[in-house]
Amino acid sequence: MVSTVPLVSIKNLTVRYGSFVALNNFSCDIEPGCTGLLGPNGAGKTTLLKTILGFVKPTEGGGDILGLDLHTGGKQIRQRVGLMPEQDCHIPGLSAVGFVAYAGELAGMPADQALRRAHEVLEYSGLGEARYRNVETFSTGMKQRIKLAQAMIHGPKLLLLDEPTNGLDPRGREEMLDLIKDISHGKGVNVLISSHLLPDIERVCDRVVVVLKGQLVSQGKIKDLKAIEGQPLDVDLRESSDAFLAKVREKGALATSLKRATYRVQLAGTRENAISVVLAAAAESNAQVRGVRLAERSLEDAFLEAIQP
Amino acid sequence: MSTPQTTQSSSPIADLSYRHYDGPLDSVSARWWCIAKMTMQMATKKRGFWGWSIFSAWWYIILLAIFWFMDNLSGGAPGSNIFLTRIIWKDQFLHAFSYSQLLLMVVTLLVGVGTIANDNRSNALLVYLSKPCSRFDYVFGKWLGIFLLITAVSLVPMMVFYLYGYMSFQDYGFWTQSPWLFLKLIFVAAASGAVHASLAIGVSSLFNQGRLASATYAGMYFFSNIFTLIIFGLNAGTVGSGGKSPDLFRTLFYCSIDGLQIGLAKLIIGTNGSDVLPGMSGAGGGRRRGGGPAQQFSPEDIIIHAPYIAIIVPFFIFIVATGFLIAWSRIKAVEVV
Repeated sequence: MVSTVPLVSIKNLTVRYGSFVALNNFSCDIEPGCTGLLGPNGAGKTTLLKTILGFVKPTEGGGDILGLDLHTGGKQIRQRVGLMPEQDCHIPGLSAVGFVAYAGELAGMPADQALRRAHEVLEYSGLGEARYRNVETFSTGMKQRIKLAQAMIHGPKLLLLDEPTNGLDPRGREEMLDLIKDISHGKGVNVLISSHLLPDIERVCDRVVVVLKGQLVSQGKIKDLKAIEGQPLDVDLRESSDAFLAKVREKGALATSLKRATYRVQLAGTRENAISVVLAAAAESNAQVRGVRLAERSLEDAFLEAIQP
Repeated sequence: MSTPQTTQSSSPIADLSYRHYDGPLDSVSARWWCIAKMTMQMATKKRGFWGWSIFSAWWYIILLAIFWFMDNLSGGAPGSNIFLTRIIWKDQFLHAFSYSQLLLMVVTLLVGVGTIANDNRSNALLVYLSKPCSRFDYVFGKWLGIFLLITAVSLVPMMVFYLYGYMSFQDYGFWTQSPWLFLKLIFVAAASGAVHASLAIGVSSLFNQGRLASATYAGMYFFSNIFTLIIFGLNAGTVGSGGKSPDLFRTLFYCSIDGLQIGLAKLIIGTNGSDVLPGMSGAGGGRRRGGGPAQQFSPEDIIIHAPYIAIIVPFFIFIVATGFLIAWSRIKAVEVV
């Protein structure tokens, strides 16, 4: 059974940089699993990450991070959280395994355990063959992977990933998203991803938190955000059929043609009732139904609608 | 005969699935020790560190050779060697420490001056500060790593020479001249380590490239050294012409990276310094201004005495604290994400 106790619970948080208000009375709960942090540039995403890590002291409000108080948790929070930063970062002069093991020691792991675990996470991250190479010789994709490896060396309960697919080629991006999806589903690691790439978020995340001008605009499951009011159905036919459109309208449905043989049908009542009306209309108009699914918008549409002024 | 098909992993570790770490985690306090250890590990991996460290003991090696020959080739009864009876033992440590200064600076360049600058270049602070490390842990860890290395590089040859002297020259007053010399030498080496470590991290934190930081540190070392050499020269000129420089003016001799350490060493060991070795000094001559008769003076006259404790100790504290605080102020956690 999946726990529903929030990992991160932020209450009425206000963070100021001088006179600039970066987070304004911000409240949100981040549930276990994989959550995307969305928002345009300057929305306050990075400030939220900084606040979670204890780098920024809030002016007002507070919250709990993994059960630790935001104001006093500081180091304890960072021991339970792993950060994969957006920028390239490494300790100069160290090999990959030395770097990751050192990151583990910095997090509090005993040296022998850190070294053993460094080998494991490097293998898992796909850097097994390059583990004795100096990190400075790594390609962009390898640097992204090693940032992930150093973030999860100490087995954090929460991973903060800042633009994890930045600079990756399509194959590298796919592999990175696969890695993130793997660790964030069923491996006991919860992930908060800050990204501008909505397809990435849509692919790996279960939930999103949308931030705009330092305030929470929307949060929840991705499938709920993508759902369209009235729960219309998208009906795929074998070939386009004006007769089907006419029949379904006769039965009281709001129906429109989306593309060649796909129609969006909205009916009052239960979903089962709507499906039976669609199937009846198809039978009466001699149309062959290939598929019926709940209509939803893209995450991009949902995001754009959420940040509309 | 067909060979059986086997599925082999491309990696030596076959099970590549993610396993959570449930092992022990140390307390979040004292993370600075982890950083200090790594600073030392990385420095001691450099061959240059070992080469220059051994080279910095060059005067101790020469002294060992001189004293060994004097002790073994004189052939007289114990305590009868005239050369050895004239030795002021604590001054030998002061001279060797003074002669190692330039090389200690080179060792500092190798082990410490690039440490924070290179971290700045590679965004390593993102790694350090996203772990349970505070700014203090980072700066103090770096400082401690350099401090321990420089202290060790100063102290080890001192201790080797001390051990040799203690075992071989009891008849010549090695122990009786300064019974607490052993402890005093530890403080001398520690003061040197503290000065170099603080200046190194202070300068290093101002740059994004280790080479620039090293060049700046070397520049500071040489320019301040030139200043003190000018002071020394002016003082010698004044003595040579029969005068005497004001005490405060002579204290300016200690206003350099070298001078500060030598001044502290003189205070801690309890000496004003003397000739390098007995018999190496000769009477010097100077000419009075206005073409008067030459004034005879001994090289001991131009030796600048130990500085006032009320000046040199606050100066030492100021230098150490300033270097540390510069580094502290340059490390900002809020800028790392």
